[in-house]
Amino acid sequence: MYLKFSAPPHVLTCLAAAALAFTTLWPLTAAASPFTPKSDAEVVERLPGRASDPAVRRVESLRKQLAARPDDAALRIEVARRYFDMAMAQGDPRYVGYAASALAPLEKSAPNDPGYPMALGLIQQYSHNFDAALASLTKAAQLAPQSPEPLLWRTAIFMVQARYSDAAAECTRLAPLTDPLTATGCSAYVQAATGQLEAAYQTLTAAVKAAPQASAELLLWQNTRLAEMAWRLQRFDVAEGHFKAAQKLGVTDQFLLGAYADFLLDRQRPAEVITLLGDWERSDILLLRLALAGKAANDPRAAGWAAQLRDRFAASAQRGDLLHEQEAGRFELAIEGNPTKALARASHNYTVQKEPRDADILLRAALAARQSQPAQPALDWLQSSRYEDPAISAVAAQVRALNPSATGPAR
Amino acid sequence: MKSFFLATVLALGALLTLNPAWAHKPSDSYLTLRATEGQSAVAVRWDIALRDLDYVLTLDRDGNGELTWGEVRQRDADITKLATSRLALTANGTACPLTPSGPLMLDTHSDGNYAVLSLKAQCPGEGALKAPLKLNYSMLFDVDPSHRGLVQWVAPGRDTASTAQALVFGTESAEQTLALQPADAWQTLKQYIFDGVWHIWIGYDHILFLLSLLLPAVLLRRAGRWEPAPTLKGSFIEVLKVVTAFTLAHSITLSLAALGVISLPSRLVESVIAASVVLAALNNLRGTIEGKRWVMAFVFGLIHGFGFASVLADLGLPQNALVVALVGFNVGVELGQLAIVAVFLPIAFALRRTWFYRVGVLTGGSILVAILASWWLAQRLFDL
Repeated sequence: MYLKFSAPPHVLTCLAAAALAFTTLWPLTAAASPFTPKSDAEVVERLPGRASDPAVRRVESLRKQLAARPDDAALRIEVARRYFDMAMAQGDPRYVGYAASALAPLEKSAPNDPGYPMALGLIQQYSHNFDAALASLTKAAQLAPQSPEPLLWRTAIFMVQARYSDAAAECTRLAPLTDPLTATGCSAYVQAATGQLEAAYQTLTAAVKAAPQASAELLLWQNTRLAEMAWRLQRFDVAEGHFKAAQKLGVTDQFLLGAYADFLLDRQRPAEVITLLGDWERSDILLLRLALAGKAANDPRAAGWAAQLRDRFAASAQRGDLLHEQEAGRFELAIEGNPTKALARASHNYTVQKEPRDADILLRAALAARQSQPAQPALDWLQSSRYEDPAISAVAAQVRALNPSATGPAR
Repeated sequence: MKSFFLATVLALGALLTLNPAWAHKPSDSYLTLRATEGQSAVAVRWDIALRDLDYVLTLDRDGNGELTWGEVRQRDADITKLATSRLALTANGTACPLTPSGPLMLDTHSDGNYAVLSLKAQCPGEGALKAPLKLNYSMLFDVDPSHRGLVQWVAPGRDTASTAQALVFGTESAEQTLALQPADAWQTLKQYIFDGVWHIWIGYDHILFLLSLLLPAVLLRRAGRWEPAPTLKGSFIEVLKVVTAFTLAHSITLSLAALGVISLPSRLVESVIAASVVLAALNNLRGTIEGKRWVMAFVFGLIHGFGFASVLADLGLPQNALVVALVGFNVGVELGQLAIVAVFLPIAFALRRTWFYRVGVLTGGSILVAILASWWLAQRLFDL
């Protein structure tokens, strides 16, 4: 699920707040002394992918064509989609900006091409503008009633918002439009969050076995979900088997790496996290896992990772982005040891994103800050969804114990 | 949920080779605009990511994905042209054209190397910048609406980064006003009042001159002998006359000197100040100008004013708040004097009948002051 991992391009409402924090943060990003390279031959920047990646070359060529044919709506949509897909593959938010720019001129003409609301919806969900994204994806689904893609994305957004019955309805609509594994994956994902974890795991396992011909990307996604389900079922060896199977598919995926790293951290195997994430410092979400593992393993690089992360959260606050809040909450709690700040960030995050991991950090921060009230939405979610995870339930029980008047069964 | 559709839509290979140290972040540029008091030009330092410049200008000529310094440097003029067309500063509605003021350089930020442009925005007219000062930012917005310009504005008189104003320029906040903040007058006043008080308290020569003139205020001289003054009111009036005359005199010369109307060599001023202390002390032994001490306070006060002026010059006067600073410093000196008088008068009045006061304090004290001030005089005259 990478909706929450994305670094969105803009939240203008936060600009004022950012400006307040900005003055003290400035030295972090504005290095003091510029320099002049010694010779003309010195390489001063490596441009991402241009030499090695045909996708980059292709999109750049399309962009040049677009400059010559600015009124070609289909070309515009294609350029936007390619940039968006590059952003997803590389975790590079600049490409989302390029995609938005390619799409922008179509706002007035609003073509009947379903690709337009589809691409727009993707960009909107990237900036966590979920309501607008849902509307755009609905429009895309109306224009292309046979396409599974808008429905898949609507499901994804509903899951992030913990709207499980809406998500289930979307899966039902999706089933006749897609392959059995995708359809089963959709419904199993919802089931696993709503009190039918064991059944979901069995169903999805069977579906994966029945579809050996499925693409590597699809198998990777399903294996990651199976790993998470087995982990919650306390079948740790099985979970690890799924993570390893996903890795063997040969597709690099930072969301798989993030989930696997969390599993290894939970199993208190931080040294393996450091090996796993070796050169992934550029990704904020993986850098967080590196910093957590470094701290747990007493690695000499731990302080450096923490400092890098601190700078990045500061830099994103400086420009007005407050959308890596789940990671920021974990950072404040586990690295900075500041439960109050962690709780503030986790609380804010939970107003936007309500996935289990978001509830988890909210509960942990509330427990550390000894305040049950701010965690009430997560406690309510746990009770109403019947989500099964012994680790989250244990923390929730401790949070409830902070305030004896709080009701609800402790799992 | 990515791979649900990735499976059907995407065919991207493994991750691309990137510099692993660079963070992935949205595009930002960093601008520092610095204005200097009394000048109509604004100095601009602008850090723009090489990657962003390449996206717009295709700096990587050979397309090998490696940007060399030569490839960047050769496009210096294009980079400057792009930058100056995407930033507009206006003062009171009139443009302040941007021109390069230094060579193109580089600096490293968390997501890569940035071009560092040094520019100057020359606003029309001489002297201070005219409000309203507006900045319009449009760099990269056409190709990346998520781009931000992070501006650090250092207003005139705010020469440290800690007092700079931070502004974030985005597609929906492309034009913003830069506050001129002509050094908050109240802050200036407070600062100079404090400086004035502080200076009188650490300026022993001024204090000793004043005290020397005030010591006899609680006494009356009759037939060559000191007698206690009958009423506090009489003593108070005597003190008031001296303090007022001194204040009036040094305020006049302080203002004239600070405004540059008159100037005197500082050695002369400092020497005469020392001499004034000697004379005031000796006068207490002989009582030559009994009853006219306020005249002495006034005459020498004129010289003391020049002494205050040199201190004020050392502190630096804000050209846009000259009068405020001058008034503040004067008021501070007065408050400092009043504090001394408020302590002195009740004690002296209470002790005025005692031998200790008349002989020990007035005579003995005056002799000590005269000796000390003579030493100062010698130091200052002969630069010892």
